Amino acid sequence: MMSNYTVLAVTLIIWFGIFAYLMVLDRKTRRLEVKK
Amino acid sequence: MVWKIVLLVVMTWVIVGAFILPAPQQAIGEASRIFYFHVPQAWVAVVAFLVSMVASVRFLRNGNRLEDDRARVAAGLGLLFSLLATVSGSIFAKVTWQSYWNWDPRETSILILLLIYGAYFALRTAVTEPERQARLAAVYAIFAFVTVPFLMFVIPRVLPSLHPSDSIVDESGSFAMSLETSVVFFPSLAAFTGVFIWMYRLGRRVTTAERLRIEE
Amino acid sequence: MPKNSIGLTAKSWAVLRKDIQVEFRSRYALNAILLFGVTTLTVVSFSVGQKNLSGELYAALFWIIIFFSAMSGLAHVFVREEDAKTATVLRLTADTTAVYWGKLGFNFLLLSLLEAVITPLFLMMTDAILHHFFLLLIILFLGAVGLAGATTLIAAIISKASVKGALFAVLSFPILLPLLIGVINGTTKALTATGGVTQASSELQLLTSYAVVMITASLLLFEFVWEE
Repeated sequence: MMSNYTVLAVTLIIWFGIFAYLMVLDRKTRRLEVKK
Repeated sequence: MVWKIVLLVVMTWVIVGAFILPAPQQAIGEASRIFYFHVPQAWVAVVAFLVSMVASVRFLRNGNRLEDDRARVAAGLGLLFSLLATVSGSIFAKVTWQSYWNWDPRETSILILLLIYGAYFALRTAVTEPERQARLAAVYAIFAFVTVPFLMFVIPRVLPSLHPSDSIVDESGSFAMSLETSVVFFPSLAAFTGVFIWMYRLGRRVTTAERLRIEE
Repeated sequence: MPKNSIGLTAKSWAVLRKDIQVEFRSRYALNAILLFGVTTLTVVSFSVGQKNLSGELYAALFWIIIFFSAMSGLAHVFVREEDAKTATVLRLTADTTAVYWGKLGFNFLLLSLLEAVITPLFLMMTDAILHHFFLLLIILFLGAVGLAGATTLIAAIISKASVKGALFAVLSFPILLPLLIGVINGTTKALTATGGVTQASSELQLLTSYAVVMITASLLLFEFVWEE
């Protein structure tokens, strides 16, 4: 089993990735609605 | 906007705390850390079902398609989170009890939830006409929700609960969590709920916008 | 509900009687259900019939047979109406609630017939020993009511779908789980020496409340499915 730190790092990366994705989606949606 | 930053910080703390602080259940070991992620996922899956059911009832009452958008988005998130919960629970089961699946009451309930969500979308894809699709989906969501009390109270009584699956939360029925565990668990619950709310709002806005665009 | 001199019972009975008459002519659903049941039973009997399995296993096998047979035939009661285009006429002439009760009654009869055929055959073709006859009888009855109660509404839902396929089973299974658990556990107690009606009280409670709850919910939701 890999060390706790490795799993921690991977999980953090995944979370930051998800967060960034949601922020991008947020911006896109706002633009979609403004356009109407 | 601010709350998204807060969410980022809280979830980051949760992830760090989950792996740095001592494992929640020493008896089980390192694998018990999954608890911090698994339980909130299951919690969100149930909350999503509730939201979907309430929106479905509202839709049948007033016929407002916005409610159907809500129901559909909530159900989609419910599907995602119940899938995550089933998988994380299964991983935990493998590491702790050496088998991926045990038909333990909690495991069974989350699986049933997953099946209900799957069935909900199978129904939606099978009905092409939009008004009818919304109506039938709403009926099914409500009907399926009615079985939940049976699942919550009956299955634990009937299926053997030999496995200590709730040893962390329900040890004595009362609050059995140490301070170290609480400090990660409750923020995790809040963070996952926050992520759900965010994704829900986004999904709803996108779905409604799409629908209105198609209707033009 | 339209106020009428004819009571709800009479109207429901009319729907039921018409369905029985139509079914009697073609026997489509009946054939599907019985054929499926007997075929599955034969496979079960052939493979594990004489292996002297536990009461639990026989109970599970029995209800697997019943469940899948039900899936092959219970949707017919609404699908036939849609396919034959008689649904519109029915919608216009009959009271919505009466339609539900009539269809529910039909499915219950279909299931009862299935159980009446499969149960004795099952007991003959396998090593299962019926220790508690009366308990089994109650379970078969409550099981049929519950199964019909939960699936009639779903049958109505899928009759309006464009692609039916396995949709009926997919939608029904999660909802039927509490019932399946109840009947399988209860039947286990009927097939085991230590069982009996008193031992199975929690299962009987479960089955009764399930049937009541599902039928009540169906009654409330049916109009949203049936009416256009």
